[in-house]
Amino acid sequence: MASHIHPTDRPTKPGHLEKATLEGKNKVMGFWLFLGAETVLFACLFGTYLALRNSTMGGPTTQELYDLKLVGLATFFLLTSSLTSVLAMNAMNRLNVRAMQFWLGVTVLLGLAFLILEIYEFVHYVHEGHTFTSSAFGSSFYALVGTHGAHVTFGICWIIGLMIQTARRGLTYEMAPKLFLSSLYWHFIDVVWVFIFTLVYLLGKVG
Amino acid sequence: MGTLLILLVLTLFLAAILTGGYNKEFLLRARQTKVWDWLTTVDHKKIGIMYFLSGFFFLLIGGLEAIFMRLQLAVPNNDLFTGDIFNQLLTMHGTTMIFLAAMPMIFGLINVIMPLQIGARDVAFPFLNSLGFWLFFWGGILLNLSWFFGGAPNAGWTSYTSLALNSYSPGLGVDYYVLGLQITGIGSLMSGINFIATIINMRTPGMTFLRMPMFTWTSFVTSALLVFAMPPLTVALLLLMFDRVFGAAIFDHAMGGSSVIWQHLFWIFGHPEVYIVILPAFGIMSEIISTFSKKRLFGYTSMVFATVLIGFLGFMVWVHHMFTVGLGPMSNSIFAVATMAIAVPTGIKVFNWLFTMWGGEIHFKTPMLWAVGFVPTFVIGGMTGVMLSVPPADYQYQDSYFVVAHFHYVLVGGTAFALFAGAYYWWPKMFGKMLSEKLGKWHFWLFFIGFHMTFFPQHFLGLFGMPRRVFTYQANHGLELLNLISSIGVIGMTLGTIFFMVAVVQAARSKELAPADPWDGRTLEWSIPSPVPEYNFAQLPLVRGADAFWLEKQAGNKEMTPAEPLGSIHMPSGSYIPMLMSLGLFVAGYGFVVKSWIIGAIGIAFTFIMMYIRSFEQDFGYHIEPEEINGSAKAKEVKA
Amino acid sequence: MSQNTNQNTTNTTSHKQEGAGKHILAFIVMIALTAVSFYLVMNNVVPKNMILPFLLILAAVQVFLQLFIFMHLNQKGSSYYTVFMIAGILIAVISGAGIMLM
Repeated sequence: MASHIHPTDRPTKPGHLEKATLEGKNKVMGFWLFLGAETVLFACLFGTYLALRNSTMGGPTTQELYDLKLVGLATFFLLTSSLTSVLAMNAMNRLNVRAMQFWLGVTVLLGLAFLILEIYEFVHYVHEGHTFTSSAFGSSFYALVGTHGAHVTFGICWIIGLMIQTARRGLTYEMAPKLFLSSLYWHFIDVVWVFIFTLVYLLGKVG
Repeated sequence: MGTLLILLVLTLFLAAILTGGYNKEFLLRARQTKVWDWLTTVDHKKIGIMYFLSGFFFLLIGGLEAIFMRLQLAVPNNDLFTGDIFNQLLTMHGTTMIFLAAMPMIFGLINVIMPLQIGARDVAFPFLNSLGFWLFFWGGILLNLSWFFGGAPNAGWTSYTSLALNSYSPGLGVDYYVLGLQITGIGSLMSGINFIATIINMRTPGMTFLRMPMFTWTSFVTSALLVFAMPPLTVALLLLMFDRVFGAAIFDHAMGGSSVIWQHLFWIFGHPEVYIVILPAFGIMSEIISTFSKKRLFGYTSMVFATVLIGFLGFMVWVHHMFTVGLGPMSNSIFAVATMAIAVPTGIKVFNWLFTMWGGEIHFKTPMLWAVGFVPTFVIGGMTGVMLSVPPADYQYQDSYFVVAHFHYVLVGGTAFALFAGAYYWWPKMFGKMLSEKLGKWHFWLFFIGFHMTFFPQHFLGLFGMPRRVFTYQANHGLELLNLISSIGVIGMTLGTIFFMVAVVQAARSKELAPADPWDGRTLEWSIPSPVPEYNFAQLPLVRGADAFWLEKQAGNKEMTPAEPLGSIHMPSGSYIPMLMSLGLFVAGYGFVVKSWIIGAIGIAFTFIMMYIRSFEQDFGYHIEPEEINGSAKAKEVKA
Repeated sequence: MSQNTNQNTTNTTSHKQEGAGKHILAFIVMIALTAVSFYLVMNNVVPKNMILPFLLILAAVQVFLQLFIFMHLNQKGSSYYTVFMIAGILIAVISGAGIMLM
């Protein structure tokens, strides 16, 4: 089963590089399992939030609090970053390293824009009296949206790290699965966000 | 005090690394020692052995806590361990036994045996494997440090809120519980992912899914349960940490929170957890019963089906732990029916074991004794389980010693028996030495009789109304005699365990090496030398059917037919990073326990730095050349 | 292993064009779905008690696109992950609903 490709080799033909080696196949398999686990993790946080979202203890309610325009903009940033991430993977499989680095860079910038909006939103809420300790609603809200934000932060650091590595080593059989996993992770963050804007913000606005 | 100590050690450590102020030669010598080799190993067999031995160490600690509790309860109105100390003992006993003894010992056996059974040279992620072990290890140490710094957790192993909140459990105990388990939990998730990827991607040619040994199948389903059951625990512990350490209000009724959410989260994890520890036990017993009956496992396919079904249903029944919460007759009925349904696949398994033995040529070696003792014991535990699954009856049984008796029959009579059986069965493969048959039989009989003496009377104590988790009882309520018998039984289990340890020491000191196939085994692990060489298989074996090695032996072959020519074998190189990465989380966990944000931040930063180092380092392992393999094989032959 | 790479790499140019086009199309659909769900809520198009199923269906379609188009869950040899993801989603729905309804 030993792979005949050395990890430092540079692929010469385009294709699905992430699964060209056994290590790559293992990594993709393991990462999908991890995403399955993450699905359950977020489901538990969603359940907790939905159970507690009306326990505002006299603080602002979901309808008073949420600003859909801001959320819409954040959603647009994150959705677009999902597209740029997949474009980066297309570039990788075409062995076009420069295009890949460009699209990864755009992904990181869009992620940062999303994060800035989220921080702005949180600061705004704290001024309105909606804090982590103000009520069960506050705690569960920040637990859910904050965990997602932490995932975005981690994803940004991860992609930057991989961009540096690619710049140093070029696109090798070792790098391809790593890049592919970070892209899967980024899409998953987007999937979670789809449910956050649906079940937290839109449903919260309806009441 | 402890805070200062950790800060000091860490600064010294960092200073040494950054200034290069260490002696290079000393480091070189340290790297050649055996200790360094074990600390940095990524070999699945060594990691498995470390899992098994540290699990056994924690088993002894948990056992000691149990002995203390039975001493306290031996006579009415005893004042040996009362009040809070008793609460700490019962909490730590449960937590230690489940998270730090049963699970690691199972991971140990899976780690050593499963890759051998599917004909793999290693697991899919050797580095992650090592990381999982060290996370478990440091988490366990953190949890047990609570005895010395700040008091052990005292809210029960289920740590129900509101009891576990600051207002009712002041002190650091529950914080240790939350952070210690969080760290071990991450490790368990990694192990689960690793085992699944290994079983799917690393099987040797010809090893189809329906040719996999039963132990591998149960490991597979257990790993799937781990992947989906650990996240709810992670969330539960995270939210409890928010409430206790950061002043959040998720479980706090006064702030609009709900304590029922904790129960849901805990049991969505907790019920699959029961199957995580029992399914591999089923697998071990299936292997042993088949080997020592000299027959192939009866109803193999139905066994696989039953395992998968139990795993699936395991996620649909968590509310049966919450019948008395008051969720309403509708949800109670649904979950009661689902619970009773689990008895069907479990029954299939029991009958399959009996039919495997039926008409077989049974050899009562020590592992088989454990297996034969396991079947009736586990059936008793299963039947009381069905009794408990009836909601109206559960209102009577709940929180009494009946429940205690039930889950000890399942967990000790199931998991612990299987772990001992597996130890005797696979010891030669793990360590290259046989455990003494004579001491093993003493171990079995003392433990078996002691176990039933301890826990059988507890059914009746529960029915007579003795509540669990209470540190004493009054005289003249008809509880004295049964409690005394129960406490005396502990002597049997203690002596039995001591016999096991004597057997282990004896085997370690003996010079006699175990043969490769001492039990006339059926599966691939018996086709390679004991102890196993680091590359496992010089040539990957070709599998032609279920019970692959047995088939070859029946066909008159002494060895497996190779599926590949002899070639150089790629091996992953060891790494010190997993140990340090987990150490960082340990330090961070300690920081959060004592509410020192600086230590917490340092620990987490340290872990992230280690992750970055790992991501940036290029390490492609090394190769073992065919000459070396031949050389060592020849050297073995000369020795033998 | 090397065989495997060769299999996937027969046609360079078609791979490139087909990939990017499909992804951009999926992206446009996702933006549209998002816009629809925001529109539904902001303008109170659907009665209050009926809105949740609408929103959930829109979200589900989007997630389906993410998983199968962006994350390549439909690729050859992905059946294991698909099984595990479906199991994960099933357990996630049951657990989430269980906690929510208490």
